[in-house]
Amino acid sequence: MATVTNWIDHLSAAEVKGAVYPGVGTEGVLVIILLVIWIGWHVMTSASEDKDLAQAARKRHGANDHKSNITDW
Amino acid sequence: MTDELGALTTIFTEFYYWITVVLMFLIHVGFCMYEVGASRYKHHQHTLMKNTMLIPLVTVTWFLFGWWIYWAFPTGPGLAPSIMNESAALITDESTFSAKWYVPNSDLMAVNLGDHISGVFWAAFLLFSWTAASIVSGAVIERITTFAFGILAIAIGSVFWTIDAAWGWHFDGWMLKILGYHDAYASGVIHAVAGGFALGILMVLGPRIGKFSSSGEPRNIGPRNPWLVTIGLFLIYTGFWGFYAACNIPIFNLGPEYGMEGVTYFTATNIYVTPTTLSGITMNFLMSLSGGLLAGYVVSNKDPFWTYSSGLAGIICASAGNDLYHPIQALIIAMIGVVIAYNLHYWVERTFKIDDAVGAVAVHGYAGVAGLIICGFVLNGYPSSGYSVGSMWVGTDYAAINPLGMFIGAIIMFVVLGLIPGWIIAKILHGMGKLRIPREVEIAGLDYSMLESAKKDERAVSSSTR
Repeated sequence: MATVTNWIDHLSAAEVKGAVYPGVGTEGVLVIILLVIWIGWHVMTSASEDKDLAQAARKRHGANDHKSNITDW
Repeated sequence: MTDELGALTTIFTEFYYWITVVLMFLIHVGFCMYEVGASRYKHHQHTLMKNTMLIPLVTVTWFLFGWWIYWAFPTGPGLAPSIMNESAALITDESTFSAKWYVPNSDLMAVNLGDHISGVFWAAFLLFSWTAASIVSGAVIERITTFAFGILAIAIGSVFWTIDAAWGWHFDGWMLKILGYHDAYASGVIHAVAGGFALGILMVLGPRIGKFSSSGEPRNIGPRNPWLVTIGLFLIYTGFWGFYAACNIPIFNLGPEYGMEGVTYFTATNIYVTPTTLSGITMNFLMSLSGGLLAGYVVSNKDPFWTYSSGLAGIICASAGNDLYHPIQALIIAMIGVVIAYNLHYWVERTFKIDDAVGAVAVHGYAGVAGLIICGFVLNGYPSSGYSVGSMWVGTDYAAINPLGMFIGAIIMFVVLGLIPGWIIAKILHGMGKLRIPREVEIAGLDYSMLESAKKDERAVSSSTR
């Protein structure tokens, strides 16, 4: 995985390679993982938000209901 | 980097942008404080989370495609040829400024010993993207779903603002060449576009429950925590300073860049690579802030909320030409912008029943549009670029700044890339039933369930004696 194992060799090469992160060449796979994380986050949070809102909407709230929740005394 | 002077210039530039990124982070801190201060108690925590979560969402999408769009689209595509390769297609060639280096799997999008600038430049633009999304966030508080806001934040933060930046905030942008567009500190490319986008959403989203009486008269829902709003706006001012610095290139030799043989001229430049000074724009920033505050205090009849917001609106209005204005011009332009934005806000609210909870459309959108139009008159005849000066509509060289070009530019920013996409995406989300929270939840408060579940513990703790 290590792209650099000896800095002296790396920096004294005729052409110093710029990319030094682990796994150079696997960027495509990393991008796919990021896409999955991004889309997956939306799917998961959208479903849980829908559920929470539907649950909260079932009760017929009054405009002052939240005042019974004030806890900063 | 093998010579010391070259290395110093590179590391200085890298560090310069890094500092601006840290300063600009304060804009987001300020927006979060401001929004929470402006929202009602029962919505506080969701309001905060909504704005906070745009940070990762816009960052991830900016990495995936937002930054690429900026470099790929300066020519339209199809509207004006690039000065780099003379092609009007997407800029994806082998040149230094090609978009091909900024696809997410490029090795320049990472720690790279051969590139000290791309990462901090990427980050500086990303912070602008957060700002664009955060401007929208304030307008829609207390009734939008987090899901819908996330999609809209990505749309404005990683797509539409970056398209307008490619077109009008890039040294090779077609709007400079064809229209003579000039927008040094983003009156249009950040503020007008985000304000227009917010207005498009608000037209679909509708007002908060209770905002308008049964006869249609608007009611004031003032900030619930004026101190949080105050500190938030001061932080936004502070971050805006970093934004101004980030819009400049700190050191550039314009002689060879413009093809002037034997001429060496080092200076700071704006994003268009035309000369300005950090010193001068700092004066203009402070004078336009002052103009905004002075005018806001008067037009709002000493209302603190509007006075603070007017300071911001003043800077935004003068920003398009603050690289060249005289400080007193900047102050006057800021005052004009505030009067326009304030009056338009209430006119639009009364006439169209638009509930812009924090005045974001006015402060950013209307002030930004006014700033672009005013800039067209005040800077009429200045070259929009140093590379070559031509006339409007030609497109093979750069048109001079002019009132008509700036007016068209303002329409493109506010309406074409702002209002219309915002309206369309909000309509789609509305059609999916995903845009607005249920009425019952809005009445109870977005935080109701969260607070209800904690109530038992909180009460037990508050009455505990050991």
